[in-house]
Amino acid sequence: MGLRGYVARRSVELVVSLFLFMALMFYVFRLMPGDPTAMFIEEAAFSAELRERLRELWGLNKPIHEQFVIYMSNLLRGELGVSFIYNKPVADLIFSRKLLNTLALLTASHGMALALGMILGVWAAWRRGKAIDLASLVTALVLYTIPVFWLGLIFLLLFAVYNRWFPLGGTITPAREYGNIVEYMGDYLWHMMLPATAITLIRLGADFLVMRNTMVSVIREDYIITAMAKGLPEKIVVWKHAARNAMLPIITLAGLDMATVVSGAVLTESVFNWDGIGRLLYEAAIYRDYPVLQGLFFIITLVVLLANFLTDLLYAYLDPRVRYD
Amino acid sequence: MAVIIGRERPTWIDRLVEGWKVYRRIKLGIIGLILLAFYVFIAIAAPWIAPYDPKESVGEPFEPPSPKHPFGTDEMGRDVLSQVIYGARISLFVGVLASILSVVIGAAVGITAGYFGGIIDDILMRITDLFLVIPGLPFIIVLSVILGPSIWNVILVIAIISWPSAARLVRSETLSLKERLFIQASRVAGASDWFIITHHILPNVLPILTATMVLTVTNAIILEAGLSFLGLGDPTQISWGTMLYFADRYGALLSTNPMYIVAPGLALIGIGLAFVFISYALDEVVNPRLRER
Repeated sequence: MGLRGYVARRSVELVVSLFLFMALMFYVFRLMPGDPTAMFIEEAAFSAELRERLRELWGLNKPIHEQFVIYMSNLLRGELGVSFIYNKPVADLIFSRKLLNTLALLTASHGMALALGMILGVWAAWRRGKAIDLASLVTALVLYTIPVFWLGLIFLLLFAVYNRWFPLGGTITPAREYGNIVEYMGDYLWHMMLPATAITLIRLGADFLVMRNTMVSVIREDYIITAMAKGLPEKIVVWKHAARNAMLPIITLAGLDMATVVSGAVLTESVFNWDGIGRLLYEAAIYRDYPVLQGLFFIITLVVLLANFLTDLLYAYLDPRVRYD
Repeated sequence: MAVIIGRERPTWIDRLVEGWKVYRRIKLGIIGLILLAFYVFIAIAAPWIAPYDPKESVGEPFEPPSPKHPFGTDEMGRDVLSQVIYGARISLFVGVLASILSVVIGAAVGITAGYFGGIIDDILMRITDLFLVIPGLPFIIVLSVILGPSIWNVILVIAIISWPSAARLVRSETLSLKERLFIQASRVAGASDWFIITHHILPNVLPILTATMVLTVTNAIILEAGLSFLGLGDPTQISWGTMLYFADRYGALLSTNPMYIVAPGLALIGIGLAFVFISYALDEVVNPRLRER
């Protein structure tokens, strides 16, 4: 099968599994005990009548299968519905500053971890078996086991409480007036420093291990021995010949690991009060804001599926031995 | 052509002895075992070695570390050291049980898919792939809200999200095993599918499954901590995750006892490392190709 046929088949599969998943999740969300109206109604005297009106407004009074049909047909038209809590369209809630905040945080930290992990991995692999390699291996395993939210708390303790170098949380200083965009960006980056560093360090452990282990097996390949035998300088062999070929698995992993990336965001955003979609998701689950939950799962799953798809394509492009089937 | 199958198969005890000979030369593996033994001891002996009742108020709120309370006290004046000691029970219990459950599900799905192949394989692997792309923690959050806070539900939701990688691994092992000569011979000799699976496939995927399971324990322990930190764990049980949840919630960051935050995290890292080191060593025992590293 050629590239075109492969892309077409995978795209159809992607759409089908996305909608099957969302259909399943619709019922999963509605298994959650408790009622979305509970959050609004405190006064017992009003509750019965008001609750009924809210349920009617949100369409919760209809039979669940009818709700399902409405939901799926809306979804097929790209309509994500209206949030119960915020009373705003879900699409506006997700595609907002919150998404930008999360993307900024995750891109910065994962990009940094990937770059550092690759460089350090190559470096350690070339010195494999030596004390410095073992030391970095153990460090990476330690980083792998540190819970990201705990590292966040420790950073806050050290750099925001004991030394007031960084803020305790948030994305910008509340109620501050900015003279120009540079000042604003500075404030934003200042707030992002601790959460981004925490995620980078945790992620670095895993990225380093993958890169090092791939490098170790690439180094034994015949073409590396050939390159060395030709008398090429070591630097050229390491970076141009070996590292280039060892990059494949780590790039794949970065693409396939999107699901884990999102999980890390929920915890980190909760520690640092980072106003992103991770916190939005947590709130939506706690308050039973079905439309927001569904919208977030839809977007996240779509992104993960697309990332997997693109990774497969990229892999086939980078490694000509891979065939489409 | 004559097929030679007469060579005596090593018993599982022989294999264990053989494996241990390799394992004991790996320093990290030995460190991991010692660390694990230490944690198991603490968990079992908790009532005797904890200086105080972890649920009883025995001092002022947020007392800093002192000889009386080496890790200080929490927001209600309870002894933090005693809580950390008892926390080992929950972490080990949840981590080990969740990973056993997830590996059992993974092995069942993987062997069935790999051994029977065809449409069964297609369906099972499609489901596995779907679970692999589900964003883990968000899904777990929703499931925990559905099931409610209890330690059994925490174990269940962690297993539900962790089995797919074991399933994929076992499936690919099964695929290569079932073409091997001794299994073909067994089939020709009239062995049933059930016999082949339990007597030939399962014993042969067991080593690689063990290495996976040990690594899953670390992931399960970290997941439990994360879930509890979000306030979705079992509030009646003392775990390091719930300790950090209460510490964060009651402002331990700005309080007079920072050990309340530091200690549970260090305990978590220690137990996570024990399993990571053991899994690293087991990997070298099971995959001889890695041994040169």
